Amino acid sequence: MNAIILSAVLGVVMMFSSVFVKNKSALKHIAAAGLLVLLIANIADTYGCSLFKIDLHNMLRFDKFGLFFNTIGIGATLIYVVLSGRDIEKSGNYVAEYFALIFFVLCGLTLLTSFGNLLMLFIGIEILSIPLYILTGSDKRNLKSNEAAIKYFLMGSFSTGIMLMGIALIYGGTGSFQLEVVRSVFASYKGVSFLEIAGLLFLLVAMAFKVSAAPFHFWTPDVYDGAPSVFTSFMATVVKAAAFVAFIRLFDARVTETSAAVDWKMLFSILIISTLLIGNITAVFQQSVKRMLAYSSIAQAGFMLFALFSLNDMAKEGLLLYAAAYSLATIGIFAILIKMKDVSFEGYNGLAKTQPLLAATNTIFLLSLAGIPLTAGFFAKYYMLASVIKTGSYTWLVIFAVLFAAVSAYYYFRVIQAMYFKNGEAQTDTITPGFKAGMVIVAAIIVIVGILPQTILNWFYF
Amino acid sequence: MHITGLLLDAPQANTAANYLPIALQLLFALGFVATMMIVTHLLGPKRKTADKLATFTSGIETHGNARTPMAIKYFLVAILFVLFDVEVIFFYPYAVNFRALGWSGFYSVLMFVGFFIVGFFYIIKKGALVWED
Repeated sequence: MNAIILSAVLGVVMMFSSVFVKNKSALKHIAAAGLLVLLIANIADTYGCSLFKIDLHNMLRFDKFGLFFNTIGIGATLIYVVLSGRDIEKSGNYVAEYFALIFFVLCGLTLLTSFGNLLMLFIGIEILSIPLYILTGSDKRNLKSNEAAIKYFLMGSFSTGIMLMGIALIYGGTGSFQLEVVRSVFASYKGVSFLEIAGLLFLLVAMAFKVSAAPFHFWTPDVYDGAPSVFTSFMATVVKAAAFVAFIRLFDARVTETSAAVDWKMLFSILIISTLLIGNITAVFQQSVKRMLAYSSIAQAGFMLFALFSLNDMAKEGLLLYAAAYSLATIGIFAILIKMKDVSFEGYNGLAKTQPLLAATNTIFLLSLAGIPLTAGFFAKYYMLASVIKTGSYTWLVIFAVLFAAVSAYYYFRVIQAMYFKNGEAQTDTITPGFKAGMVIVAAIIVIVGILPQTILNWFYF
Repeated sequence: MHITGLLLDAPQANTAANYLPIALQLLFALGFVATMMIVTHLLGPKRKTADKLATFTSGIETHGNARTPMAIKYFLVAILFVLFDVEVIFFYPYAVNFRALGWSGFYSVLMFVGFFIVGFFYIIKKGALVWED
């Protein structure tokens, strides 16, 4: 509860700081301080210190998983603001509003990690999405940014419509919006009718759209490519992970495993296969690193979908680990990408000579995304695949995923190859020592989690 | 006879057959619209002149096309009007239930209005209502 109310209030505070704070560069310090307050408040909430006592009528249900994910999401946003705050400043005239919108996105995130009612799911998705439509179009003079914003807005609202239709059908079938009631209807073998199944399928489509799983991924490359790079970084990481947490909260084991009318495992494996296939194969043919990262985020979503496939304890742990590893690495890669003058693969040629430290940290981030051992990405993928093995069936799905992890190594290593083995003069903006230090810290976190994944997971049980 | 029986029984049962009245009504509605359109086309006189086909906008002559850029302030005022208009809509049910909701209802509405005042302050400070450039 702390995080929901504080993030909304801090968003309003950021809005007003645009009126009262004339010094532009102070804004990112205010935002970072606000995020730190939010982080501490959420951690306090996790350990039972809640500032607000409100009777919620089970509209929201707080559990360790959701609150712990809030910590990861807010922490990742803090790192993002610290690393890329200067670039947010440069991206337009309404800096304070951008930060305010980021806080509102976090408010949506905290709702999504703790909804106990389908209406709260809807409100959370909307609070998460609407600020993103604005941020996507924040580069007003750029036609591509405009195109991305209108595309994202239209398709996003359409998928929200499908979600509402699904919620309405489930309400028609079960007579309740409460998640507990819906679950108990699904769990009681006899009660499930056509209405509930159709409703749940609509919700599946809408959520698959939000996490950009194929075949509902078509908006992703254009939107991620068109949006200003700083905001792509935020959209592709924290927001996508939040949508996944909502997804796994909705498609709880009690909902999917007992309703025999639909083979959910088969349905999810079709989603996973098409997402991995389309994400990885299309990423291979990209010429721009930014667009490659957009497709790579689709491919990574394919791996995160494994958590929804297996739905056991290991899957939940794995999703947290995956969210943290993927967010950190992608935020790092984007922080470097924003500094590059040319975001094609050629633009990275010879970066190792001009900026050896950036090239080295970028390599660690890329290795983590590819899932090479000793990085956080390896254990993230390991937990996901192990959770499938634990369910005892569908082993072929794991083999398929490993093959596509190998394909993904190809396009991630192309960047490394460009940085280290190609001749060229990579042009970057001026790099401050503070930025370098930040990159080293993020890379260090990735390596530490890669060696000792329990450092993150132990907190979950502690 | 059979169909009237079915119509009377409709509320009692819940099978596909009982949607027959709705299907009949749908057919009737579609048929009515189609018939009317065809009949008016066949029977109506056709006198087409340039003036008659021109877009009618309150008697004012049209000029330019619809894609002319408009000052954003019109949209700003319009959207802000909608926001504050909706606020008033929420007051009506509250006014009706004013006594029943008691103090807790009053505090809720106070909070709601408080948010609006904050928003109002924000738009004033940002100059959204300044009409002259």
